[in-house]
Amino acid sequence: MNGLDAKQPAGDTISPGVFLRRYGTLIGFLLIVLFFWTQRPQTFMTAPNWINITRQMSILGVVAFTSTIVMVTGDFDLSIGALASLVGIVAGTVFQGGGTVAEAVALGLLVGVAGGVLNGMLVAYVGISAFVATLGTLTAFRGLALYISGGASIYGRAIPAEFSSFGRGAIPLGAGGGLALPNLTILALLIFFFVFVFLNYTVAGRRLYAIGGNMEAARFGGVRISRLRLLSFVISGLGAAVAGLMLFSRLSTAHPTQGEGLMLQAIAAVFLGMTLSEESQPNVGGTLIGVLILGVLANGLTQMQIDTYIQQISTGVIIILAVTLSSVSQQRRAYGRWLRRFFRRQPPGRG
Amino acid sequence: MSRPALSLQVRHASKSYGGAPALVAASLELRGGEVHGLIGENGAGKTTLIKLLAGLEAPDRMQARLNGSAIDIGDSAAAYRLGLRFIHQELNIAPALSVAENLFINNPLPRRGGIFVDWSTLQRRAEAALKALGIRHISPRRRAASLSAGDAMLVKIASALIGDADSGEPRIMIMDEPTAALNSAEVDLLFAVIARLRARGDALLYVTHRLDELFRIAQRVTVLRDGSVISSQPIAETSTAQLISAMTGRGAADGEKAAVRAAAAEGVPRLLVRGLQTDAVAHASFRLGAGEILGIAGLVGSGRTELLQALLGIEPLLAGSIKLDGQALLALSPARAWQLGIAYVPEERRSQGLFLGERVSQNITLPHWERLSRLKIFLNRGAAHAESRRLGAAVRLKSAGIKQRARQLSGGNQQKLLFARAILAQPRLILLDEPTRGVDVGAKYDIYRLIRQLAAAGAGILLVSSELDELIALCDRILLMRQGRAAEALSSAGLTENQLLERCYAQP
Repeated sequence: MNGLDAKQPAGDTISPGVFLRRYGTLIGFLLIVLFFWTQRPQTFMTAPNWINITRQMSILGVVAFTSTIVMVTGDFDLSIGALASLVGIVAGTVFQGGGTVAEAVALGLLVGVAGGVLNGMLVAYVGISAFVATLGTLTAFRGLALYISGGASIYGRAIPAEFSSFGRGAIPLGAGGGLALPNLTILALLIFFFVFVFLNYTVAGRRLYAIGGNMEAARFGGVRISRLRLLSFVISGLGAAVAGLMLFSRLSTAHPTQGEGLMLQAIAAVFLGMTLSEESQPNVGGTLIGVLILGVLANGLTQMQIDTYIQQISTGVIIILAVTLSSVSQQRRAYGRWLRRFFRRQPPGRG
Repeated sequence: MSRPALSLQVRHASKSYGGAPALVAASLELRGGEVHGLIGENGAGKTTLIKLLAGLEAPDRMQARLNGSAIDIGDSAAAYRLGLRFIHQELNIAPALSVAENLFINNPLPRRGGIFVDWSTLQRRAEAALKALGIRHISPRRRAASLSAGDAMLVKIASALIGDADSGEPRIMIMDEPTAALNSAEVDLLFAVIARLRARGDALLYVTHRLDELFRIAQRVTVLRDGSVISSQPIAETSTAQLISAMTGRGAADGEKAAVRAAAAEGVPRLLVRGLQTDAVAHASFRLGAGEILGIAGLVGSGRTELLQALLGIEPLLAGSIKLDGQALLALSPARAWQLGIAYVPEERRSQGLFLGERVSQNITLPHWERLSRLKIFLNRGAAHAESRRLGAAVRLKSAGIKQRARQLSGGNQQKLLFARAILAQPRLILLDEPTRGVDVGAKYDIYRLIRQLAAAGAGILLVSSELDELIALCDRILLMRQGRAAEALSSAGLTENQLLERCYAQP
């Protein structure tokens, strides 16, 4: 048992230790920024670089924001990366068949919704655990993408110019300043805003939190659990589809596995964000910070020319650190559990 | 005994949580050879006081003296060194282990060569520890799983003392509702052990909700209310009525028998159930008038809870019909039931009712959010907060405001949250499952008052309770359930608890 458990923190008066645990992730984020600023003073803390970071993180941001909705209920959606890849392949195949951008985007979004419905039905109505269900669909989506594409990338002349230019385009800020807000960043911000309003200001969003807090009590209290869980997976599938299209547009290439990295990073971002919530709940504001932490790390470490493998290691370490700190404070709060623990384990006697 | 009598003095113990005082300058003295009762409503500060004594929480202010010299209970190890021993109400025993191993569960097992368990020494010491407490009917070799609740509690007590088995030195024992899960024969055994501890000079602090127990075993009694000591006196100088009014701050007179009985309404009944059948309910037919309180009595497992759950649409109907104000309810679900004006207070408030991490306002308003929304989509927080405040006042909720988290409320106040939720939209039918289980006397009266008010306002109320006096005092009629069948409805007028109990046990 760690010594931190010895005293119960008092309600609202925050001691320095509690403050650190509560806002540690935020402080850590600022320290990381400060570190890179001092290491790369010319390039890091510049507007073009930050705009670049937002563009790099926009795709991850979209899936992380929509995954937050699923994770609020205590579920996971592991299939988002594979679904994003599949949507890219579907849109690419539409282009190869001579389809328009509108047709490709519409069909891509439809595939995302269908994938979400499938996940949601399996979890909410069939009753399979989200982990197992979405692990299954992950494998199936990946197989489907490989089957449709024959394992090959889709690129080249079949892809309309206006589609690929969207992913590289930007809206100029001010007149002739040279700064421009990337389309992808704007799209990610819009989705962030949608998720933020949904989770914080709608009946359905607040009920998702109730389901995550106590599913049985939510059901007895008149919450339509299955319907809402299904909805959360549909939004997650839709987010994966948008991300898949964004990725396809930015790379002008659809590869059947190009979205794979998104899922673990998105879940990591949500976990980082949970550490910033008083009750350790997923919250999309925190997820945004989580995405930025991952983005700044990748950007800064790349500027310092650190091996990408080392980058992965350091990212993993930071995630574990942040979640460890917050789970310690979580234990201290749940003192009912903790009191029982004490009575089970009295201090050893003199024997 | 030649040693001077043990004495633990606590003076001016104070503790607040986030500005809300939980304990205000509380003082009391425990003496060797005495059982000192500690009573008070939930939230009165009993648990806080115990936590300060156990060194689990740092007091804002507290002076403690052990046998006259000042002591500092800095942490739980210090409390142990000072001779304080704690018995929690919950029975944490390891069922797969033997009684002897459970006795040593917080201490190193005797060993041979530092590695192997010395089984014979273990048995011998375990036997001696049980004998020292006068417990002869429990073999140390038995599996703990086979122990009754009462015997498990005795093992727990022996276990708390096992480190001191040889010294025989008197200890300060602090017991938090040890009889909560025991039947009366088990309580007798426990009291015999307590008498033995008292005889050897232990000082005992005994926390309970059951006042009759205090008159059996306690010499002194201290009453806490809102964190302050209201009285601390020899038990011989007080009475049950005095203690209740000290705890609640109200006269005991507005008690249980003052039921205002609304006449069962004529005409269309509020609720009409015909031939209802689910997995757990074999057959139920009854009617409930508007303004009527219908009790449901029966043994645990007789299908009482499942009957209520069928009426909320939790348990699917296999056969039969439910009519609310003459309207047949088809394809019922909890969501639909709440919309129709059926409210539910579940049996297990923590696992089935509350969102402990959420705020008071969310807990109260959750089922009513469609009503408290704009366009049925956006939650109207202003309206939700206003409703929470209104209902919090109506049920006399004691909280630090509607933004407090449900986890931080006492048991009685948590139950009031569920009542506030149930009555927010003036329900037509209210389903109550053990609404006063585990709540203190004061909250109990508040809940009785509420139930009567709701009935007087015209709601039909179905009340499941295992407390027969409660059923007889509150209900107009009582429906008996036996083995999944709603057997008969009795008028509660003139009914005694014994008659009711006999009917519960009667063979169909």
